[in-house]
Amino acid sequence: MSTQIQASARDIDGPLLELKDVTTHFKTPRGVVRAVDGVSFTLDRGKALGIVGESGSGKTILSRSIMGLLPPRGTIRGGSIKFEGREIGNLDRKAMRSVWGKEMAMIFQDPMTSLNPVMKIGRQIAEPLQIHLGMTKQNALATAERLLQDVRIPEAKRRLEQYPHEMSGGMRQRVMIAIALACGPTALFADEPTTALDVTVQAQILDLLGEQRRDRNMSLVLVTHDLGVVAGHTDEIAVMYGGKLVEKASTKGLFANMKMPYTEALLNSIPKLEDRSHTRLSAIAGRPPDLVNPPKGCRFAPRCPYAAEKCINEEPPLIATAEDPNHLYACWYPVGSEAYHEAKVRIAASKHATDALAAAGGN
Amino acid sequence: MAGTGKAHLRDSPDVLLRIEDLVVEFPVGRTGLKVNAVSGISLDVLKGETLGLVGESGCGKSTTGRAIMQLPRPTSGSVQFEGKELTAMQGDAMREARTRMQMIFQDPISSLNPRRKVRQIVMEPLNIWKRGTDADRAKKVDGILEEVGIDPVRAGESQPHQFSGGQCQRISIARSLVLDPSLIICDEPVSALDVSVQAQVLNLLEDLKAEYGLTLIFIAHDLAVVKNISDRVAVMYLGKICEVAPSDVLYENPAHHYTSVLLNSIPVPDPEVAVTKTAIEGEPPSPVLPPPGCRFNPRCPAAQDICRSEEPQLRAVGEGHFVACHFPTVTPVELSSR
Amino acid sequence: MTTTIDPSTTTPEPAAPATALPAPRGKQRKLKWPGFGLVSAVVFLGGLTLMAIFADYLSFIPYPDALIPGPDGRPGRYEWGPSWTAWFGTDGVSNDVFSKTIYGARTSLQVGVFATVFGIVVGGVLGVIAGYFRGWVDRVVMIITDCLLALPALLLAIILVNRLSDLAEDTSWLGWLSRKWTIVFTLGILATAPLARIVRAQTLSLREREFVLAARSLGAKPGRVMFREILPNLIPAILTVAFTGLSILIAAEGALAFLGLGVEVGTPTWGKLIDENRNKIDEFWWATIFPCMMLFLTVLSFNIIGDRLGRRFDIRQAGV
Repeated sequence: MSTQIQASARDIDGPLLELKDVTTHFKTPRGVVRAVDGVSFTLDRGKALGIVGESGSGKTILSRSIMGLLPPRGTIRGGSIKFEGREIGNLDRKAMRSVWGKEMAMIFQDPMTSLNPVMKIGRQIAEPLQIHLGMTKQNALATAERLLQDVRIPEAKRRLEQYPHEMSGGMRQRVMIAIALACGPTALFADEPTTALDVTVQAQILDLLGEQRRDRNMSLVLVTHDLGVVAGHTDEIAVMYGGKLVEKASTKGLFANMKMPYTEALLNSIPKLEDRSHTRLSAIAGRPPDLVNPPKGCRFAPRCPYAAEKCINEEPPLIATAEDPNHLYACWYPVGSEAYHEAKVRIAASKHATDALAAAGGN
Repeated sequence: MAGTGKAHLRDSPDVLLRIEDLVVEFPVGRTGLKVNAVSGISLDVLKGETLGLVGESGCGKSTTGRAIMQLPRPTSGSVQFEGKELTAMQGDAMREARTRMQMIFQDPISSLNPRRKVRQIVMEPLNIWKRGTDADRAKKVDGILEEVGIDPVRAGESQPHQFSGGQCQRISIARSLVLDPSLIICDEPVSALDVSVQAQVLNLLEDLKAEYGLTLIFIAHDLAVVKNISDRVAVMYLGKICEVAPSDVLYENPAHHYTSVLLNSIPVPDPEVAVTKTAIEGEPPSPVLPPPGCRFNPRCPAAQDICRSEEPQLRAVGEGHFVACHFPTVTPVELSSR
Repeated sequence: MTTTIDPSTTTPEPAAPATALPAPRGKQRKLKWPGFGLVSAVVFLGGLTLMAIFADYLSFIPYPDALIPGPDGRPGRYEWGPSWTAWFGTDGVSNDVFSKTIYGARTSLQVGVFATVFGIVVGGVLGVIAGYFRGWVDRVVMIITDCLLALPALLLAIILVNRLSDLAEDTSWLGWLSRKWTIVFTLGILATAPLARIVRAQTLSLREREFVLAARSLGAKPGRVMFREILPNLIPAILTVAFTGLSILIAAEGALAFLGLGVEVGTPTWGKLIDENRNKIDEFWWATIFPCMMLFLTVLSFNIIGDRLGRRFDIRQAGV
C-alpha cells in the first residue's frame, strides 16, 4: 500500500478512532465467550481515554481488538473500527504491521516479559527504527539515546549498553514506553501499565505518559481497573462491564455526576486515605458475569443493590444524560433517580433491621 | 532514616511479638557483596492489634515478614513470639511454633499447589499435625471454607486454577486459619487483585480478625490500603524504619519526608485533586550499597549535611508517634513530657 | 484444561478470567478425540506387549528356537523370505524371525522399562533432594552427574557391564544378577544423570513458589514438602522425559548387543537379531529389516505418547 493512497484515505478532521458496534467473541469448548459485545465510541486526536473495569470486563480484549493483536484462530470479530477514517477492523496481521508502531503502539503490564532478556536495551530500541524508518545504525542509536532521555532515564548513554535484568521495574517500563514512542505513533495504548509497579513509580510513569502525550499531540488509551489511576490522567473515561460499555463521559463529568451504580460501586470500593482506619469498605458483592451465558437484562443487575424487576428482564440502552449529550450511560434507574433513592432507603432500612437483630442476638 | 533505636517499643504484658535489631542479609552471588535487605529494625505487635508495614519494593518489608517466620532465619537479631525466642529454636519446637503464626502471600495462584484439590490444600495443615479424627477435620475445613465464602463441595472437586484470583486468596486465608494461629502475616495479600475484589478480601480479613481474635501484620505498598486495615503503621525504606505511628495520625500528621512522598503518590479518585500532585523523582538506590547516614537522603527534599553522615534515631514526636529523621516535619517532644 | 484457544492465555489481567468461571458441575468435560498417531502408537505398543507376554500360548507364534523346514523340507540358512509360512522369513539358523522379534520384545521392553524406572527413581530422588536442600548436597549430586555425563556413554556402558558381570561371577550373593539385570543396571545408571539434572532444575524453580513456603510455614517436614508438594508438580516433566528416555534405552540395548554386550546366549533381543544378521542384509534383508522396523516403531510410539502426555500436562499447567 503506497503512502499516497493512505494519505488520501485519511480523514484528518474526523475523530482519530471510531468504534461502531465492535464485538469480539471467542470459541471455547464451553461455548462462545462474548468478551466484547457491541461497543461504540469515538476518540479525538490528542485526547486521553481511560477504559476502566474489573478483570473479565472485556477492557483488555477491547484494546487488543483495536490493535488487531488477537489470535485469529477461534476469534470472531464484528463491527467497525475506523482509525483516521480508515477501516482497520478487518485487516489481518500482515496489513496491521504498517499500522503498528507508526500509527498505534502498545505497552503492557509486565515490562519484563515484553523485553527481550538477552538483547541490549539500545539494540531493542534501535532495531525497529532501522527496520521501519530505514535509519542507519548510528542514527538509530542516537535516536534511542534521545528517546531514553525523553522518558527521563538518567545516564541514557550508559543504559543503552545494559540488559533488561540490570534495570528496575520502573526503568523497564520507561524503556517500553521509549520503544512504543520510537516510531512516533498517533495513538498509544497502555494496558495496566503501572499495576506491577510501586505507588511512587506509578505516579512517575503516569506523569510521564501524560507529558509525552501533550508533547507529541498523541492520543492515549489507558486501560486499568483503578479509577484512581485514570482520574488525574485522562480527559474521558469509558467504564466497561461484562463486555459492554456501561458509562462514558468526560473525566470531570463522570466524577461529578456518576450515573451507573457500577461506576459508583467501583469508586466506593477504593480505600480512601481521608477515612478513619477500619472504615468498612463497600465491596461489590458477587463476581463478574459468565460471558458464555450473560444475564438477560442489565449485566450488572445480579450484583446491583438497586436492581428492580425491569433490570433483570430488559437490557438498558446506552443513552445520554439530560445535561450533557456526551455523557452516556446504560441504566434504567441511574444514580440520583427516584427509584435509586427509594432503593437506597430500602437497603438502609433492612441493614438497620439486621444490625438491630444482631445487636439483640448479641445481648 | 535510620530505624535504629527502640524508643517506639512498648513495655506491655500484651506484647505478642517483639522484634529487636533484626538484620537480614543475602550474599550477591560469589562477589563477596551482600544485599542489606533488613538493617536492624525493631518492632512490636500487641495482641489483637494490626500492624501495617509499608514501603516500596526492596524496602525489606516482605523480608521482615519472612524473617519473623524464620523462613529463612534472620542474619542476626531477636524475634520473641508469645514470650519465646524463635531465633534459638530448632527442629520440632520450631515447626510447632510456626503453626502459631501463619502467612498469606501476594500471588494467590502461586501460593496454592496447582496439582491438589482445594479442599485437600486447606486440610493439609490438619493432616500434617494429625489433629482430630477424619470427621473432625472435614467438619473444621468445611466450616472455615464456608466462612471465607468458598463452597466446600466445589472445593472438594476443583483445583486452584478453576478459581479466580480473589477466590484463591480466600482459600489461602482459609488454609492459614485451620490451625488456629494467633498471628497472621499478610504479605501484599491484595496487591494482585482488582479494587472491587480487594475490598471484599479486606472486609473478610477484618471480620475474621474480630471473630478469631487474630493479630495481623499487614504488609503492602499501598498506604491507603494499609491505613484502612491497620491500627499502627511502620513506614520502611531500604531496610530501615522511618516512622511508626497510629494509622490516623500517620495520615493526618506525617513526620517523615518519605511518608509524605508515599501519601502524595497514591492516586486519588478525584480529578480535581489529582492534577495538583507531583511525583517524587528517582527510585530507591540499591540495597547492596546503601547510602551512608539517613538512607533516604539522596531523594529527600530537606536533606542537609548531617543527613549524609549521621544516621538518625527513632524519637517521639507525639503519642505513640515516632520518627527517624534529623529534620522531621513535626516537632519532636521530650520523652519525659509524655 | 482445554485444548482449544482460550482467551485467558491472551489476557494478562490480574486474575484469571475465563478459566476462573465456574465449571458446569455434573457435566463431563467434552473429550477430544485423540489423534491418529496416538491411537496407532497405543494400539501398536499394546499389541506388542500382549503378544510378548502371551507368546507361549499363541499358536501363530512358533518357539524362537523351533527349526522351520525350508521349501525342500529341510531346515537351512535363510530358506524363507517373508511368506505365509514365516511372516518375517527365517534367519541363518532356520528360526522364525517373527517369533524371535516377538520374544526379543520381551527382553528389549523389559530392559528398557526397568532401566527407565531405575533412572527415574534414583535420578528423581537425587534431583529433588539436590534441588530442595541445595548447598553441599547439591554440589555432591552435581559432581556425580557431571562425571556420568562427561564420560562417553558407550565407554561407560562397556566398562560397567564388564565390571558388573565380573562382580556377579565372583560374589556368591550376587548370583541373581544375570546378564539381563546387569544391562538394566548399566542403562539405569546412565539414565540417572540426565533425569537428576532435569528434576533438580524443576525443583529449584518450584521450591521458590509460595505454596512450598506455605507448606513449610505450616510445619511440614522436608520429606513431606518434597514428596507431597513438589513431586506431584514434577510428574509431567518426568513422564515426558521418561518416555523419550525409554525409547533411547531400548535403542541402547540394541547398541550394546551390537557390540557383543547382549544378554545371555539363547535369549533373543532386537539388538542381537540385528547384529547376527546384518552381514547378510544385501541378500537376506528381512532378517535385519524387520527387527529394525520393530525397534523403530516402538521408539516412535513411545515418543508420540511421551510428547502427547507432556502437552496434556502442559496445558493444565497453563492455567496455573
